[in-house]
Amino acid sequence: MKFSMKSVAAAVTMAAAAVSGAALPAQAEYPEKPVTMVVPYRAGGSTETMARVLAKALTDQVGQNVIVKTMPGAGGAVGATAVSKAAADGYTILFIASSSVLWPPMTQNVDYTSSSFDFVAQISEYQQALVAKADAPYDTLEELIEYSKTNALNFADQSAMSRTYTNFIAAKEGVAWTGIPTKGGGEMVPFLLGGKVDFAYSGGIHNRYGDDMKVLVSMNSSRLASAPDAPAVSEGYGVAMPSQSMVVVPAGTPEEVIGKLEAALSLAVQDAEFTDLMENKLSFPVVFRPSAEITAAMGETEAALKTVLEATK
Amino acid sequence: MIDQLIAGFAEALTFYNVLFITLGLVLGIVIGVIPGLGSVTAMAVLIPVTYYMSPVTAIAFLVGVNKGGTSGGAIPAVLLNSPGTAESAASALDGYPMAKRGEPERAMKFALYSSVTGDTISDMLLIVLVVPFATIALQFGPLEFASVLLFAFTLLAGISSASPVKGLIAIFFGVFLATIGLDPVDSTPRLTFDQIHLYDGLSLIAVAIGSLALSSVAAQLLDMAAKRRGGGVPHEALPPSTNRHLGAVEFFSHWKTIIRSSLFGSGVGMLPGLGVTLAAFLSYGAARKASKDPDSFGKGNPEGIIATEAANSAVVGANLVPALALGIPGNVAAALLISAFIIHGIVPGPFMMTMHGDVVYALFASMLMANFLHLIVGRLGIPVWALVTKVDQAYVLPIVVMLCVTGVYLPSQSLFDVGVMLIFAVLGLVMSRTGFSVVGMVIGFILGGLFETSLRQSLLLYKSDYSVLLESPIALAFLLLAALVILRGMWPAKRQEPVHDAQ
Repeated sequence: MKFSMKSVAAAVTMAAAAVSGAALPAQAEYPEKPVTMVVPYRAGGSTETMARVLAKALTDQVGQNVIVKTMPGAGGAVGATAVSKAAADGYTILFIASSSVLWPPMTQNVDYTSSSFDFVAQISEYQQALVAKADAPYDTLEELIEYSKTNALNFADQSAMSRTYTNFIAAKEGVAWTGIPTKGGGEMVPFLLGGKVDFAYSGGIHNRYGDDMKVLVSMNSSRLASAPDAPAVSEGYGVAMPSQSMVVVPAGTPEEVIGKLEAALSLAVQDAEFTDLMENKLSFPVVFRPSAEITAAMGETEAALKTVLEATK
Repeated sequence: MIDQLIAGFAEALTFYNVLFITLGLVLGIVIGVIPGLGSVTAMAVLIPVTYYMSPVTAIAFLVGVNKGGTSGGAIPAVLLNSPGTAESAASALDGYPMAKRGEPERAMKFALYSSVTGDTISDMLLIVLVVPFATIALQFGPLEFASVLLFAFTLLAGISSASPVKGLIAIFFGVFLATIGLDPVDSTPRLTFDQIHLYDGLSLIAVAIGSLALSSVAAQLLDMAAKRRGGGVPHEALPPSTNRHLGAVEFFSHWKTIIRSSLFGSGVGMLPGLGVTLAAFLSYGAARKASKDPDSFGKGNPEGIIATEAANSAVVGANLVPALALGIPGNVAAALLISAFIIHGIVPGPFMMTMHGDVVYALFASMLMANFLHLIVGRLGIPVWALVTKVDQAYVLPIVVMLCVTGVYLPSQSLFDVGVMLIFAVLGLVMSRTGFSVVGMVIGFILGGLFETSLRQSLLLYKSDYSVLLESPIALAFLLLAALVILRGMWPAKRQEPVHDAQ
């Protein structure tokens, strides 16, 4: 009894030290207990599937269990809010799309901002694009714009952010498109292929409909590997949609902990099971960018987002 | 199609699938036996269990649960004259008199065989119809969806409670609840009170379990408390069994009723929102009308059991036709099955057959296998189910409450959802005691989001130009039907017996 009381007291002291951010005797010991990886999306989606396999590979690297916890809701804002308020000790980490870090604080009433987090590493990149049916009378963004000067066009969007970016292009070109909201790729595909809309925003599902759809423009900061001839939106307009999936931690996490996680992630993304899942099942590229690079990229993306929001107000 | 089905069997016929279908059937039947709980509760509490199964095993397991839950309700109907589910209520009318004259086993066998036959017929219709349905599904745009849903609401209002006005109020209250959360077009938060947990709206599982399952448990607990005070009424013991035998020849001599009831169930199952209870009562009424001796119904005529059980089980397969081809759930159970599909990365809709054809045919194969297993499990289990009905509710109900809480908590690991469930339990209790249809509300909630999105998509797409209706014969037909249903409801005619609280 006495012994257990003592160990409880010791645990409390250590926890208190960790919470207050006081340096533990040896940071090299992190992690000394299981790490919780929060995924702010529904179980079964591509991000969650990715996170589960990544967590397994990360477990092998850090020598402690990495447990996935899904906290879906509000396009990632529920999980992001929870993690932004968690202890900055590296035991609660967040696997999230960069759009969920940037968009909600700018447009909704949420309790976090992009500076509530430290960015550990980018893991992958969503393959975002504007796409059209294969037999549409336009093959490029210029032809689409030319065509819309004489025709009233509708497009399917999948979120307020994708609609805002598409409308930004329209505003720059002096044309008007009507955005039709759809719930994700599953609903967008029948709209596009059934001829209800003229073109559509796609978060990557077009890769599975290679013969039926064509990419007009990549909405990422660079061209898509699957459609190298289609330009990226950044080439013509200097902005790009947030496209990263990444691991972040609450702001104020000790640098040693971030460094350790970053190193472990750089090895985890090379895990055979993980690369197999990414390339063969999800068709997302593994894009590893370390902390410094992703932090800079997020800064740029956030500035672009502000430009787009200002222009489309 | 036959080739694909054989390939589906090859994929589905594994040890694990057979094991989990059997497990699902047993769990479904046991939960169905518990009064007030049916396939909806059984599926909702068991969906989280499937997270770690492969998609085919997970769906096969839930199909087993759904089938077991639908047929399990007949057992207490026969043995206790208290149906486990509303859809089995009509089974008590003839099942209990049969039990009283010493034929409880025969009554349960009639119920089981009818369930399995109705289900098999319905599954075969599903397999034949889903491909043609999926090909016309591309014609189904937002305009058509909005019209079909409007039609479903009007139809449901007339049958869901004694007063069509109360039915309509309940349905549109459900539609109203579906507007909570981010607006589908502008992403403006509506009725969220800055609660981030409400941005995605209320959780379907929390609303369904709270208002359907937990409220029914609460009602039973209140009844028990009232009875304790009044001294309690001992249950009438059944006389010893005298006739247990039911052969295939005797069963299939009722083939006319079997086929008619299965078609009734399948037809109702294909229309969104109508549900299992309506199918059972319509079919019972039709069997009675067609019978040479209508007066024998209600006095232990096995045709009454056949009509009820074949029809309610036939809904199970058929309601997957709109669910798989269009993504419109036919009832609460189908909505849960769709959410399970999405959890496993399969999005129902016109492209499901092309994108996930292998999974769909494995699902069909699993459904046919489940029917066969259902026959074996149900037949072997008859003595066991009888025991389950004898367990004191005082032990069963607390376990059910715990299952409800875990079933709601697990999918998103959110205590907020548990709170939502508790509020809806109280609401469900109040609504059912005041004659408002709880199921109407839940269906309104399920279809409301789809209705709003489709309506607003149509208004945007066609720039609010109503003449576009003339170009869509499907939309026009359903809107005219909806108008017809409303006009007929306003006509003062003799009303059908209301089907109170379905699913």
